[in-house]
This record gives sequence, C-alpha cells and structure tokens, in this order.
Amino acid sequence: MKSIKLNKIEELKKKEIINFEYEIKKLYEDGKIKSPIHLSGDNEDQLISIFRKINRDDWVISSWRNHYHALLHGISKTKLKKLIMSGKSMGIISKKNNFYSSSIVGGGLSIGLGIALGLKMEGSKSFVYVFIGDMTFETGVFHEAYKYAKNFKLPIKFIVEDNNMSTNSPTDKVWKNKSIIPKDVIYYKYKRKFPHHGTGSWVLF
Amino acid sequence: MGQEVGFYFSMKYKEELIKSMTFLSKKKDTIFLGQSVSYSGNAIFNTLKDVPENKKIELPVFEDVQMGMSTGLAIKGFTPITCYPRFDFLILAMNQMVNHLDKIRHMSNKELKPRVIIRTSIGSKKPLNGGVQHTQDYTEIFKNILTEINVVLLNEPKQILKEYKKAYLRKDSVSTLMIENGDFYNEK
Repeated sequence: MKSIKLNKIEELKKKEIINFEYEIKKLYEDGKIKSPIHLSGDNEDQLISIFRKINRDDWVISSWRNHYHALLHGISKTKLKKLIMSGKSMGIISKKNNFYSSSIVGGGLSIGLGIALGLKMEGSKSFVYVFIGDMTFETGVFHEAYKYAKNFKLPIKFIVEDNNMSTNSPTDKVWKNKSIIPKDVIYYKYKRKFPHHGTGSWVLF
Repeated sequence: MGQEVGFYFSMKYKEELIKSMTFLSKKKDTIFLGQSVSYSGNAIFNTLKDVPENKKIELPVFEDVQMGMSTGLAIKGFTPITCYPRFDFLILAMNQMVNHLDKIRHMSNKELKPRVIIRTSIGSKKPLNGGVQHTQDYTEIFKNILTEINVVLLNEPKQILKEYKKAYLRKDSVSTLMIENGDFYNEK
C-alpha cells in the first residue's frame, strides 16, 4: 500500500478505535469478558484508508478479528461493546449495518459471494468487501470464491491483511512460499500488535 | 389391473417432486442452484423440467462454496433451493451447513434468518448400485448434528408437496434439509 496520510477527522477516528480496543483489553483483563477476544492494532491507517471507499450500504464480511472493521463500518461503540461483553466478539453480526463475521477460516468468503450474487441479481450498486488474513488467502475456498467472482463480474472486493500469522503459525514457513496476490485484490502488510487472542496478560476468571 | 396400479405409483414420487418444484418456481424470490440443474446428469434434474431457465443457476463443483452462496443469497432475501444430487456429496458442504447456516440465528441474535431449502437424495441401488460412495443414507447423522435446520426424510409421495410448501411458507424462515430417495423415483 502507498503511504497514507490521514486528515484531521480520520486522526480522531484512529484515536477512537485505538481507545476502544484498550477499553476492551481492560475489561478482558478485569475478567469481565468470558469469551475469547482478538484485538486489532497497528493497522489503523491502512483500514481507515480502505474504508474511505466503503459505503454504509455496502456489505462488510470479516473474521474473528473484527472490532476495527465493525467500528469503521458504522456499528456503534455501544452496540459493539454490548456484543463483545455478551461473548460474541468472534462473530460480530449486524443486519442493520450489513456486517457479517465468522470465526471459521474462510467462512465468510462464500457467504459474501452469495450476497454479491444477490446484489447483482437485484441490480444494486452496492458492493461486498471481504477481509481475510494471509493464511485464508492460501486456502482452496479463497481460490474458488475469487475465481467465481472474477469470472461472473460479481460486485465483491477481497482484502488481504497480511500479518504472516495463522494463530501462531507463520504462513511463509508452513506453506514454504506464499502465493502472489492478484492485482485486483487489496493487500496490506502489518505486524500484529496483540497476541492471536487475549491480551498477553494472564487473566484469572 | 395390478400393472396399472403399479404404474400409477411408479410415477407418483417423481410427479410430486415435479409439482413441488413447479410450485416453488412460481415464487418471485426462489432460485434453483447446484450441479445439473440446467444440464442433465442426475435424477434431481428431471424434477426441474418445468422450472424456467432464468430461475436456475448451474454451478461448478464446489459444494461448500455452494452452501455459503446459498446462505448469502438467503441473507439478501432470496429463497435458494440448493441441490446436491447425492447425500455423499452433501458431506462436502458440511462446514457451511453446520458452522454457518445452522448457527446464524444464534450468532446474530436472530437478526439474520436466512431460509435455504437444501435438496439431496439417497443414491439409488436399483437397477444399478452406485456403491458405498454414492448410496449412503446419513439422515440420522444430520439430524444429530444440526441444531437449527429442519431435517425431513421424504419417504412417501403424499408428504412431498406438503413438506416443500411448509419449508417455503414457514413463518420462522428456518431452513430445511429435504432428503429424497433415488430408488423411490422408480418404485413409488
């Protein structure tokens, strides 16, 4: 990705989403969230830049690490916090906000494909944006979904968020090599700020 | 006389399936998708003969993606009739069926209530036996593993239209797995 310059409003948004994750981190460390959490961090600039193109009528499909995607697509902090506190962090869903996430690797890809097909059949101008990690990019389901979407010109965009980690397994080691990202797939690289799940602190529940 | 009665019953199972598909095809929101919905190749194809081509989407062989696509279409308000010619092939769609479609109401606090009608068939053993990879009946296993999706075994012709109507019209929009039996196309 090219270097990103945020405007003042975007800088405020960046602070807001970082603060939100720290609030969740504290709640988790205080033992108040009884389910796994997967915190986002150090990819704010890239995401804010990507979300400039995403309209509220568009669909966003995410994974277990979804808090930033949810906030940037318009899910309120209050609603998101409520869902996280009720144990739904790994699968945030909001019909009102056209937002779906799954905690199964690649789970959202084909669902996003179906939504995109539905949008095309309706004649809608909306798009589906599917966020996946670099390990999901290497799976067969991505290959199938990408090929079908491209060949049938479905209104869907794929975004690969490359932190080179699948839980704690490095993608480039377990596959030996990583595949080439097609030009029509949005891609950025970042280093994970928090562990795969949790906060890195031992929590007594 | 006996032969005439036999002939009547031999057509009934398939006729009821054709009638059910025709009923569904007249609904604005339905869409038929899967393998061999537009091109011949299995028994299910023959039951779609009166379904207009613009209501069908012939898909590649990617069973799990097909199930996810069906869920996505249903989230968008369509009612997909997603066809898997044999039970043995439906197993390849278990991830999307069990981990997603079957859990979405729970995961979304009932904000998303997709209705998908899944069609499959226990492979026929007569006159040709397809062998262990083409003829299995996994009905009880699916009943055990699914928590939200309704499982219906279509044993008798008189059930068929009633069950398909119920699957389409039920107000809770719960998805249904319809299990047909390939041998009954010729026997009942």
